[in-house]
Amino acid sequence: MSTRETTAPGVAIAVPVAVEKRARPRLKFRDTWWRHAVGIVAVAISLFPVVFIVSSSFNRDNSIGGTSVLPTHFTLGNYSRILHNHVQDASHPGSVDAPFLHWYLNSFVVAAVASFLTVMLGALAAYAFSRFRFRGRRLGMLTLLLIQMFPQVLLVVAIYLIVLNVGSLGGPFHYMDLNTLTALIIVYLGGALGVNTWLMKGFFDTIPSELDESARVDGATPAQIFWGVVLPLAAPVLAVVGIISFIFTFNEFVVASAILQTSAHQTLPVGMRGFIDQQYGQRWGPFTAGALLAAVPVTVLFIAMQKWIVGGLTAGSVKG
Amino acid sequence: MNKKHAIMAVLVVALAAIVAAVAGSVNAAVKAPTLTIWTDADRQTAVTQVANQWAASRGVQVNVVQKQFGNIRDDLGTVAAADAPDVIVGAHDWTGKLAANGLVAPLYPKAATLKQFPAYTLNAFSYGTAVKKLYGAPVAVENIGLVVNTKLAKVPTTWAQLEKEALAFKHKKSGNLAIAVQQGTNGDAYHMYPFFSGLGGYVFGKNHAGNLDPSNIGVASAAFTKHASLVDKWNKEGLINAKVDATTAQSAFLKGQAAFWVTGPWNIDTIKKAGIHFRVIQVPAIVKPAVPFLGVQGFMVTKYAATHDVSAAAQDLVANYMMTPAAQTLLAAANNRYPANTVAGKSVKDPYLAQFGKASVGGVPMPNIPQMDSVWSDLGGAWVKATKGSGATKASVAFKAASRSIANKIG
Amino acid sequence: MNAHVVTAPAVPPARTFRPAWSARAIAAFSGTTGLAVKIVLLSLSNALAAWAGFVLADKGKWPALGVLVLATATLDWIYLSKRTLPLKFLAPGVVFLVGFQIVPILYTINVAFTNYSTGHVISKPDAIQQIKLVSLEAPPSARQYTMAPARDHGGKLVLILREDATGNGYVGTKEGLTPLPAGSVKAGALGIVSAPADYKLVKGAALFGLDAQLQDFTVPTDGDSAIRPQGITEAVELRPTLRYDAKRDVFTRISDGKVFHDNGRGSFVSGKEELEPGWKTYIGASNFRSIASNPLVRAPFLRVFAWTIFFATATVFLSFAIGLFLAIALDKQGMRFQRIYRSILVLPYAIPGFLSILVWAGLLNDDFGVVNRTFHLSVPWLFDANWAKVACILVSVWLTVPYFFLVAMGALQSIPAELIEAARVDGGGPWQRFRRVTLPLLLVATAPLLIASFAFNFNNFNVIYLLTGGGPAQGGSNVAGATDILISYTYKLAIAAGKGNDYGLATAVSIIIFLIVATISGIAFWRTKTLEEIR
Repeated sequence: MSTRETTAPGVAIAVPVAVEKRARPRLKFRDTWWRHAVGIVAVAISLFPVVFIVSSSFNRDNSIGGTSVLPTHFTLGNYSRILHNHVQDASHPGSVDAPFLHWYLNSFVVAAVASFLTVMLGALAAYAFSRFRFRGRRLGMLTLLLIQMFPQVLLVVAIYLIVLNVGSLGGPFHYMDLNTLTALIIVYLGGALGVNTWLMKGFFDTIPSELDESARVDGATPAQIFWGVVLPLAAPVLAVVGIISFIFTFNEFVVASAILQTSAHQTLPVGMRGFIDQQYGQRWGPFTAGALLAAVPVTVLFIAMQKWIVGGLTAGSVKG
Repeated sequence: MNKKHAIMAVLVVALAAIVAAVAGSVNAAVKAPTLTIWTDADRQTAVTQVANQWAASRGVQVNVVQKQFGNIRDDLGTVAAADAPDVIVGAHDWTGKLAANGLVAPLYPKAATLKQFPAYTLNAFSYGTAVKKLYGAPVAVENIGLVVNTKLAKVPTTWAQLEKEALAFKHKKSGNLAIAVQQGTNGDAYHMYPFFSGLGGYVFGKNHAGNLDPSNIGVASAAFTKHASLVDKWNKEGLINAKVDATTAQSAFLKGQAAFWVTGPWNIDTIKKAGIHFRVIQVPAIVKPAVPFLGVQGFMVTKYAATHDVSAAAQDLVANYMMTPAAQTLLAAANNRYPANTVAGKSVKDPYLAQFGKASVGGVPMPNIPQMDSVWSDLGGAWVKATKGSGATKASVAFKAASRSIANKIG
Repeated sequence: MNAHVVTAPAVPPARTFRPAWSARAIAAFSGTTGLAVKIVLLSLSNALAAWAGFVLADKGKWPALGVLVLATATLDWIYLSKRTLPLKFLAPGVVFLVGFQIVPILYTINVAFTNYSTGHVISKPDAIQQIKLVSLEAPPSARQYTMAPARDHGGKLVLILREDATGNGYVGTKEGLTPLPAGSVKAGALGIVSAPADYKLVKGAALFGLDAQLQDFTVPTDGDSAIRPQGITEAVELRPTLRYDAKRDVFTRISDGKVFHDNGRGSFVSGKEELEPGWKTYIGASNFRSIASNPLVRAPFLRVFAWTIFFATATVFLSFAIGLFLAIALDKQGMRFQRIYRSILVLPYAIPGFLSILVWAGLLNDDFGVVNRTFHLSVPWLFDANWAKVACILVSVWLTVPYFFLVAMGALQSIPAELIEAARVDGGGPWQRFRRVTLPLLLVATAPLLIASFAFNFNNFNVIYLLTGGGPAQGGSNVAGATDILISYTYKLAIAAGKGNDYGLATAVSIIIFLIVATISGIAFWRTKTLEEIR
């Protein structure tokens, strides 16, 4: 797969495009056996805990990491129960409401909206850093990186207080009050500019500014140049950043648990944490089942967009 | 450019005017006075029931809000006054911190009501460096006990018997545990407390006024250090293994790989479902009675009740209504605990709860003073160091270090 | 970086660039439509700001209102002026950055200069009020009453009282108790049910409207003692033990005359004795000073710092090396199962991090974990100080390798094939080709990512906390365990620092952490000349 193709004569842009397959050179086993060996070992290590997670999700015992890989008491009950929105409660006779599908939907909405907006905001900023020369440009880029190094764990208290105090003022602030998904999305957008902007800037740098020039000569406004010319070409890096953002926000726990208070509004990681509340016995069965269900969209996204991810991540950083 | 400005200006003014009008009307709506209660998921139904019954008899409104149990204590300090609760559910060991932070109001139940409660439940919710005040209405008590799988072992009456049976069971098959008690890398001072008290240890002593004295730390008291070598013996025999964590202990007992499990009433259902015949006793006395830590849950009135002008109502609900036997039965049954009110306790039918109740005799309520925070990890850590198998530290050394560390932290 | 390769010669495009249909559609929105969109969006944001402004003004939050006006005006200027093109692109992202990163950071820095900790949470007026409330004690007589508020014939609020012990009835006013005829006050299960005719009992919802008045209502009995209503059906005789002098701002204990004054650090103290609750206040750089001087904080600091650096460096180095190796190994053109290997190798990234870590904690358990059982080892993964460190690094590498695997894959693909060819022609073997050509280019490409990953792992609270909890407990100091990194150590300080929590101290430590990480990263950026990329 080549990453150097031209879409216009003489202009080299790094875009992942499949190369037409020439007659494949016959790969001798001698060349590739060690590669397969490495691959198999790596796969085994990667899958090692996953196997136990899967096994536990089909196990009635509510335990994890037991001595056997196969579940001792096979059951589909964990899956069926969480999909029916209730879970057996160890300390409570009967079951407790666990609106799993609600959490799933909440997580999905938050992750989708937040990652989409993150990509947009980041792309706008990256374009500015790439194309324009202004005072404070280098300092700005450095600041973006350094800000993200503040320990997030301790920022949570401050973020909680801001959302609390602002949200309770009422009026338009009501929509970003504590316990709303809007507030969570807005908080995530605070981290939109950061390493992602660096990645995108690097990619934008490889899109020759001659394109901008020729479009401007043709009479395009800066907005038209951005939306119509540059952004479409940056699709690979946008996809990568979008996917990374999606994964991060989908699985994010600390901030979400601070802002989302009641069960119906919670996202998946927050809601599922209650399954393994230490004191009252840990319900690993439904927890692992839920986690696997949660990993499905992310994995599908990965597999489907593999090509774009591989091409987009650092294609722009290597100068050539 | 001017036209753009003009259009924009017009639009802004128009929109702002509409919006301000809407906003104004929204602000006009006044909320009727209500009592806000924070409770956890387990108790929500019961609390709603009790609160509504009370509200009906008094002609007030209640608003029951569900939160995670741990968040209740933390959020109380940062919540905005307008959203703050008037009544909260809480564990008794929050009392010291909440009172020191000035977030809860003292309660004055009637003398006749107070008589229905064991002294320790009321003490558990009392705090005060100068004047001791009652801050909470106890509702449910819980404690850990020794759960014995009666099919796999005989119920021991002495410590020596327990030791013998446990070790015999352990040697029957590889993978068996002697006594399944959870620790893990961070330790668990709560679950290890019976062994600690059984050897003569205590956390905080009492001063002459009868209050907990943070300067009197008994983690390495003379009595304990004298018998600390027993811990080393247990470690060598493998009676207690620090590497057992909560999941391991539970699954070992449920799978029949352990005959003795130190745990609490929250697991009664799980054990019953696994079809195990069991009995709950107090850990047999070692050198002294091996009493457990007692946990009391109850309800408190926050300082925000006064801000919201519902303090009288809140006091009435908590100090009056929630301490009556009927309410106590409902609230304690909500998550399957023993009610604090002795009159209500008489009507408890679950035999296992009664057994846990018997296992609590002589127990010590967890200290509720803020200094207790510094104790948990050190005390738990000392146990882990002393019982982690090969490479374990001598118990007397470990506990002396812990005692010093606690003293340093408390200052 | 010296190896630049000449691309295809830069020939000006022969024809105008024609983007795809989607791009044309988006571009169509620019132009006049774009102008319209801009106006609408700007008006909406101004209207929103106006609404918010009304709310803020309504609640009297003048500083916030000022900030709002300033921000709105700035936004308007940015989008209407012709000279602010870069800002037009930066503004949206920066608004959120300032609101939800910078402001929280500033707030957190602010907390570091306060005494925010257990016992110092509320404001001073609230603290004074609360001290007065909790310092009331029961006098020797300690009478309890059943009570009902009532109105006398003049409409004035009074209390009808029935002493629990004796059954005597009284009416209580701010002046004192007046006995009522015997048997005239009857009480039932719900409180007082009947009173003498000239008093009307307040009933129903009106009861609760009296709350504010009842809070202040006291019926003096003898000396300092007074009867105070508690709840709606009870009253208790209490007397104060402290007296507050508002002018001198001191509390005086009545029994022995001890004077408690404001110690400037959020408490009323007299010698070593302290009144609770205290309040939150600024204490200057006290927290930072105590970091240097408090043995509890200082003693393990260096050790924890060293381990944190080692942990972050080892994680990044190993993850990058292994990820790169995997990328190279699986990079062969035409290799079968390539796609499958790649998809599986990124799976750890897709599973929620904290679940994986918890599972690893179970798998690595010394006696009962699968790892030791399957391979017949007896490695004390989690309970020995050194092996626990190894375990932490192993798990964090497991979590990070997929990321660097992807990065390396992409970076490898974008190294121009001509370069490698040129090196091969020059007679270089595979290892030399790698070392001289591939590796330098890779490092330049991924330098910012490596540094960012270092910073992330420097503060990787999750792995440490969930895998080992910072343990096992180490040596003398029991605050910091063997695997505690700076951030988890700070967290422990925050929640277990002597007398409950100490957020002030914790945030002060976290600021130090931030300065350390930022300095290291800044130096790393400078050394790798990454900043030079910003031409």
